Amino acid sequence: MRAAHGTCAIVALGALAIPSLAHATGVTAGTLIQNTATATYTTGSVSGSITSNTVTVRVDEILDVAVAGLTTAPALAGASNVVLEYTLTNTGNGPEAYNLTVNTAVAGNQFDATLQSVVVDSNGNNTYDPGVDLVLAPGAPTPSIAADGSLRVFVLVNVPGTVVDGQTGQVQLSAAAVTGSGTPGTVFAGQGDGGGDAVVGTSTANQSANDSLTASLATVALAKSATIADPFGGNQPVPGAVVTYTLVATVSGSGQADSLHVTDVIPTGTTYQAGTLKLDAASLSDASDADAGQASAAGIDVNLGTVAGGSTKTVTFDVKID
Amino acid sequence: MKKFVIAAASALFATIAAPAAMANGAQPVELQGGVKVDKLVVENGKEKHVYSDPKVVVPGDKLVFTTTYSNTGAEPVRNFVVTNPLPAAVALAPEGAEKQDVSVDGGKSWGKLGMLKVSDAAGQRSAQASDVTHVRWVLPLLAPGARGAVTYNAIVR
Repeated sequence: MRAAHGTCAIVALGALAIPSLAHATGVTAGTLIQNTATATYTTGSVSGSITSNTVTVRVDEILDVAVAGLTTAPALAGASNVVLEYTLTNTGNGPEAYNLTVNTAVAGNQFDATLQSVVVDSNGNNTYDPGVDLVLAPGAPTPSIAADGSLRVFVLVNVPGTVVDGQTGQVQLSAAAVTGSGTPGTVFAGQGDGGGDAVVGTSTANQSANDSLTASLATVALAKSATIADPFGGNQPVPGAVVTYTLVATVSGSGQADSLHVTDVIPTGTTYQAGTLKLDAASLSDASDADAGQASAAGIDVNLGTVAGGSTKTVTFDVKID
Repeated sequence: MKKFVIAAASALFATIAAPAAMANGAQPVELQGGVKVDKLVVENGKEKHVYSDPKVVVPGDKLVFTTTYSNTGAEPVRNFVVTNPLPAAVALAPEGAEKQDVSVDGGKSWGKLGMLKVSDAAGQRSAQASDVTHVRWVLPLLAPGARGAVTYNAIVR
């Protein structure tokens, strides 16, 4: 009966301990595995029980890491502080910090970005928050990451001004366990979390991943043409003839043109014809108001805003030869 | 003052130790636990198990827990049942598990693994080696002087 009670007590303990083992990467470093056997028996009419000594094995720390690149970012020529995102996962079984290395000169690159800073997502919202997230000093390791935990890492780079549309450049982030890395099975005696040793796992405790930048540029071409309608039904540039100017803005490339304005001055000796300003054949008011255009005796200005590569915008207006 | 503290402490130790020693002295059987790490080593193209004292142990490693028993008394010992709750951090190794007398419910019921069921979110399913909470060995008779060992293989979770 006593033995039965003893067994029940052990059962309760075991049931309590099981949920803490829900680690994908195994038992936490420093855990003590303690094994005790109990025997019950009878001799003659007397029953007895005996408990063995307890053997204890301490679980050592396994050093592992996984790195994933998350970003395939379009990049503008000369862009600064483009944010590249990576995820760093501690696939070991103890808390571990990692030394990070950024390589911007990955083999096969058509351009190399310039490293600005490495930032860790200290508030854990998966978004780069300037001034909030922790900027790592050069050579400084990450904060300690719990076993099975992940940390978002932001690498900020500048894009050279000389890139050509469509060129790609990769940026590699490497993470190595601070305790040590190298051939799987390498032991760092006494350096494990929880008082045991640290052992390099199958990942070599040193992994890397690439993020990719693709230069996404736009070029703008502007072509101007004129047609003349004279008062006599012909096309001669005589006083009283109306000249229709056509300005065609062509945006090409995979990027986009931002804040694109088409402006022109009214030629000397001509007078702008009120209400003739049009964008893609739709009339625009002369006043500076909600629509994209404005016109006056001095000239016209049409704000096209952001125009994607591959599109064409046509602006027309009329003047009369004085 | 310091001397007094030491004296008191050793007195306390003595009162705890004495009854245990007496109880042990009256036991006709002895149980001795041990553990080895089981590493599979390839030597001359052949796989070979090497058992060594645990130095570096990480998740996934195999451990062999051994309990040696002996009847040190003059009388036969009957209904000798060795029960071993598995430490929470290990799982029973699948190889050979089906031959062992096991419990998956904390020692309440016993049987061979293939006959036991466990409940989970999806209902009842067949028990697996990793569900085992206890192993036991039942020996009907230990003659005076008889000795032996029982073992189970475990994998660090």
